[in-house]
Amino acid sequence: MPKDQNLGEYLRLQGVSRRGFLKFCSATASLMALPPSAVAQVAEALATARRPSVIWLSFQECTGCTESLTRSHAPTVESLIFDAISLDYHHTLQAAAGHGAEAAREAAQEENKGEYILVVDGSIPVGNPAYSTIAGISNLDMLKNAAQDCFAIVAVGTCAAFGGLPNANPNPTGAVSVSEIIKDKPIINVSGCPPIPAVITGVLAHFLTFGSIPELDSLGRPAAFFGQNIHDRCYRRPFYERGQFAATFDDEGARKGWCLYKLGCKGPTTYNACATVKWNQGTGFPIQAGHGCIGCSEPNFWDKGGFYSPISAGMWGTREQLLGAAAVGAALGVGSAIAARRRQKKAQETVL
Amino acid sequence: MTLLDFALGPGLKWSLLIMIAGLTWRVVGVFLGRWRRDLSRPRSEAVVQGGLRTIITRSAPARELEKNIRFQHITGYIWHIGFFATVLLFEPHIAFFESVLGFAWPGLPSHLALVVAAITLAVLVMLTLRRMIHPVMRMITSTDDYVSLIIIISAMVTGIMASTHMFPRYETILAVHILNVELLFIWIPFSKLGHLFFWLLSRYRIGSYFERKGVKA
Amino acid sequence: MSSLDTIPVATEVATGNVEPLLHEIRHALKRLASGGEGTTIDLTRLPLAPSEEERIEETLGTGEVRAQVDALGPTLIQETSYPGVWLITHKNVDDVVVARFIEVTRIPELLRSQQADIDAGIDRLEDELRN
Ligand code: SF4
Ligand code: SF4
Repeated sequence: MPKDQNLGEYLRLQGVSRRGFLKFCSATASLMALPPSAVAQVAEALATARRPSVIWLSFQECTGCTESLTRSHAPTVESLIFDAISLDYHHTLQAAAGHGAEAAREAAQEENKGEYILVVDGSIPVGNPAYSTIAGISNLDMLKNAAQDCFAIVAVGTCAAFGGLPNANPNPTGAVSVSEIIKDKPIINVSGCPPIPAVITGVLAHFLTFGSIPELDSLGRPAAFFGQNIHDRCYRRPFYERGQFAATFDDEGARKGWCLYKLGCKGPTTYNACATVKWNQGTGFPIQAGHGCIGCSEPNFWDKGGFYSPISAGMWGTREQLLGAAAVGAALGVGSAIAARRRQKKAQETVL
Repeated sequence: MTLLDFALGPGLKWSLLIMIAGLTWRVVGVFLGRWRRDLSRPRSEAVVQGGLRTIITRSAPARELEKNIRFQHITGYIWHIGFFATVLLFEPHIAFFESVLGFAWPGLPSHLALVVAAITLAVLVMLTLRRMIHPVMRMITSTDDYVSLIIIISAMVTGIMASTHMFPRYETILAVHILNVELLFIWIPFSKLGHLFFWLLSRYRIGSYFERKGVKA
Repeated sequence: MSSLDTIPVATEVATGNVEPLLHEIRHALKRLASGGEGTTIDLTRLPLAPSEEERIEETLGTGEVRAQVDALGPTLIQETSYPGVWLITHKNVDDVVVARFIEVTRIPELLRSQQADIDAGIDRLEDELRN
């Protein structure tokens, strides 16, 4: 799609009818978690939308986020959205590599100064920048350079958004999130490990449709997708209320689909769209498959105790530590008893 | 570190450690302190039975007083039973105890636990108001009591708010609830709330002492 | 060999979202009947238990009209047993559901011939006649 064409024209030339376009808009509005009444507005905006340029940088990551995206469950809609944006650089998806590719990136940055969207997946090692480099350029330098002239940054995945796995204790590479480095650009955190593909494209669709930053929550995540926690939308919630919990993964409760709170479900403290948007072509999500939510879209979720220990169990330490405290208390008790005895003795002596 | 991370991590750990150290300190200190030797001839040798008997008899008011304190007596029981039902039978609480003790017990359905908590809270608030209005009660109430009441009432209010999702951010109100309870943990050994652990000991002590002296009370 | 179906996993859960949805449909129908606006409900955005979507479909049943639109993959349009309530399933070219809606309307917009398509059609017909 040539750059000066708008999306409406482009689709028409592709032989997509107005009906097809309306269908595309309905699916896109649904993808963006907009109410169906917004479809007309979306259609109007999309018909005249200009294609944004996107530069995608991959740092310390496992490529799970890109995998998630390329397996998204609305291929037609997604591919149209991807057609509609101009993905000028994607380190993982593109064939080119090395200095030539970097030159292309710099050219794209120059050409779309102030307008391109920078997508980042992976965290940035600042402890020792040599842990992750591309064509000899450290992640830190590349991020700073690419962020300079961008319109906004989309931090895809918990690593880019909050540091993620590389940042987990003891964080050997000194990994940090995008927002810890870039302070002067709008950053949209599309967290999740990986994020729900529909959420990644939903955010891109928002740019495409409205050319603006979606409404964000306090952690910089799009409120449309991260506005509600898993627990509030979980279909197992009635079991939680009734006090019916699976105690192991193979007991009667597990088979009957009871609440997974006692098996460590982090749904109550996790904000994500899994319970409604769902995964794998909308067939289900982890809780539906019988495993608790591990809280993958929240900062530091790796370091919040065990995935299988209930939220309310907390990290109170070990029984040895509690015994140690008792020992300290006992020692203090002995001490104060001795002190009291001395005092009493002295008092007695003075009386006598 | 978020508020909830702090509450569930270092907050929980240190408050538990302080509570345990504080409780053992008090018990050990009392036992090893100098006990005044009783030089009088004992009226009765059955001090153990006397102690144990008092543990039971003190659970009901003395007959002579019954009429005057029936209200206090009944509401006191409702509040204590309700409080323990809420603490010990709400499933997320059981999950906590299980992680510390290593075993669990059956709990109440969450909405039932909520009803119990609400009734308990109402009774406690009523008792607090009475304490503030009643001239005699007022005289025997110290700052210690008021601090304890504030900590417990707010722990119950935040707990109810958290479990009903009445507050927009669940994790925030949950963190406040947990921090509140941690404050309670720390407060227990150093206040009159110590009776949570010491009531048996002190009743026994009084009972055996009175038995020796031949006092019937 | 045992198949997945033989593993006894019960998913009979009710989120309590089905009843309110049916009531919403009833209100929407009344509004439509008294000359008001139509309503669209996005089914993919509702937290439903695995069996509940089927329950909704069962309750609504199938009515007199069934149509398929082929544009960017098939779209199935089914009038339910309650006239004015339509179930619309958008699929992509790989036959995977991309969005599902319940539309309360006299006729779903997608069934109407669109102005832009009519215009394009006129052009094509005129071209045809000219040659
Ligand atoms: S399974 Fe998890 S998210 Fe669902 S109700 Fe239970 S605790 Fe909440
Ligand atoms: S259910 Fe929880 S852990 Fe699983 S993908 Fe969703 S947010 Fe992440």
